[in-house]
Amino acid sequence: MNENIPLLSIRNLSTHFFVEEGVVKAVEDVSFDVAEGKTLAVVGESGCGKSVTALSVMGLVPESAGRVVDGQILFRGDDLLKKTESQMRRIRGNEIAMIFQEPMTSLNPVFTIGNQIVEAVKLHQGIKGEHAWSHAVEMLRKVGIADPARRVREYPHQMSGGMRQRVMIAMALCCWPSLLIADEPTTALDVTIQAQILELLRELQKQQNMSVMMITHDLGVAAENADDVAVVYASNIVETASVAAIFEEPLHPYTQGLLRSMPRLGQKMERLESIGGSVPNPLHFPQGCKFHPRCPIGVSDQRCRTQQPQLREVAPGRCAACFHAKGYGD
Amino acid sequence: MNEDNINSFQRSSLWHDAFRRLRRRKFAMVCFWIVAGYFALAVFVYIAESIDPTMSAINWKEQLGQGMEYQRPSLCSVKTIFGTNFLGQSTLISTLYGVKTALAVAFAASVISIMIGVPLGAAAGYFGGVVDDIVVWIYSTLSNIPWIILVMAFAVVLNDDKIMGGKLSGEPGVYLAIGLTSWVGICRLIRGEIIKRKESEYVLAAKAVGCSNSRIIFRHLLPNVFHIIIINFSLRFVSFIHMEVIISFLGLGDANKPSWGKMISAASSELTRGIWWEMTAATMAIFVLSLALNIFGDALRDCLDPKLRMER
Ligand SMILES: Nc1ncnc2c1ncn2[C@@H]1O[C@H](COP(=O)(O)OP(=O)(O)O)[C@@H](O)[C@H]1O
Ligand SMILES: [Mg+2]
Repeated sequence: MNENIPLLSIRNLSTHFFVEEGVVKAVEDVSFDVAEGKTLAVVGESGCGKSVTALSVMGLVPESAGRVVDGQILFRGDDLLKKTESQMRRIRGNEIAMIFQEPMTSLNPVFTIGNQIVEAVKLHQGIKGEHAWSHAVEMLRKVGIADPARRVREYPHQMSGGMRQRVMIAMALCCWPSLLIADEPTTALDVTIQAQILELLRELQKQQNMSVMMITHDLGVAAENADDVAVVYASNIVETASVAAIFEEPLHPYTQGLLRSMPRLGQKMERLESIGGSVPNPLHFPQGCKFHPRCPIGVSDQRCRTQQPQLREVAPGRCAACFHAKGYGD
Repeated sequence: MNEDNINSFQRSSLWHDAFRRLRRRKFAMVCFWIVAGYFALAVFVYIAESIDPTMSAINWKEQLGQGMEYQRPSLCSVKTIFGTNFLGQSTLISTLYGVKTALAVAFAASVISIMIGVPLGAAAGYFGGVVDDIVVWIYSTLSNIPWIILVMAFAVVLNDDKIMGGKLSGEPGVYLAIGLTSWVGICRLIRGEIIKRKESEYVLAAKAVGCSNSRIIFRHLLPNVFHIIIINFSLRFVSFIHMEVIISFLGLGDANKPSWGKMISAASSELTRGIWWEMTAATMAIFVLSLALNIFGDALRDCLDPKLRMER
């Protein structure tokens, strides 16, 4: 594989929902890369458009109201947005897999977990019957479930939340995808279980040399798991950098606020205490920089209130979208 | 955790749980066995008829006594327990044969209405948009025509030798007429259930694994509403039996086989002459079956419907 082409490269992606009250710009002009074998954490408060970004990559934006209106999603250099539905079906679950936030509801209540794990293998690799079944047992063992030969015949309601998330991981990884999108995989879990699941993901990532796009609202999770971080605020990327750089010297005031308010691992957080106010409604974004009403500098700065800063390279390997970030220039 | 326990208790293998509850309801179980008895009888008549239509136990044409005249109920022989009709044919055997007619028609009609209603409702609910508009338009139109007129129109057309070449007259005409006109209820129900479930996370997860739309409908969504189909089926069955009776009462059924509707129709004019047994036998057969089916169907719904299963 060419070392220089990132596995996934999102360019100027915009995804909008057309609802009665107007246009919800859930994702606006978002660009980032996920490198081969690396983990990118997408961090931001809830309602920032993280899940919609993930669904856009999967081609699963709810058709009833939403649409990707602009941009490119390059996977190994191919634009996924140009693929037909049946081509996308061959990619989903096979090359790009996804796990979701709610392990309690992401499994179909009427099927055994074995059946659900082998679904992807049956669909993509044509393995059937006994072979598929033993593959399911193998996957369960891999994700650390004791007594997999018995567990594989159980129903989701017979398992705890942590175990179900392990099952979801087994489901996602059974076709050896090269990219895993994990949308807040541990948000719904207890602290101790959270740490175990993250540990498991790290291990499996190493084994399968897979890339991970880890969506989280928790910088602590990003710090422990990611190589790079993209911070989103109100549908835009406001800063991208390596984990080390972000923690050492956050450039965007929003990232700084996030860092200051960083909860200890596992603490549930709906709104950031040290940043006043809340995420603006995507139907009525403020003029200028979307963060300015909550920003210590921006709230009184004429330029922040009227112009929107573009994401721009401010130092080698890192970008920020703030007029006052070091290295942003004029 | 605690929350987990409650959750697993609630869902604990839907069917297993439902049957355990059902067994605790003695009255519902009695009704179940009554219904099962009716079905066994229907199957017996069906098999016996295909082996030998003149077998004495099911030979409703046989004339008892001498000549064509009524015989009052008498205990001299089993066949005359409920007397005979004006041709001297046993009322008991006709009534029992009517079980087969009624159940065969109701069963076939149920299958037809499920085969039409479930896929249409699922497609409408899942895809929405134009598909939904068309399906809703069709069933709104159908459901705005008074049911009895619709069924009669279908039955008349299907029975017409000139139109259908006579192939569909008799029993097939009756169940087709019922099945083709009564899928609206199940269609509407399934449409609503699918709309409720199609945004659920497990459907999204199935899409993320690469399932096609049809696979999601048939493998992931429909198994989740299967209990609703069963409940609807068990409650709808009664009305299908009633429809069969009405159609054959109106003379649109199979003219060559006994049925409850025909018996009632024939007996109604004789009632004033004091010939009560034919009417009584047929109505009792209908009454007992309907009652048992209704009570059992209600119990089944109570046991299967998660919303009603709140007694922790
Ligand atoms: N199906 C939808 N219809 C309309 N708006 C939606 C839909 N899904 C998401 N949105 C809007 O998109 C924005 C981003 O949502 P989301 O990506 O789920 O946020 P998060 O960062 O918490 O994952 C939210 O404001 C939400 O209201
Ligand atoms: Mg989300």
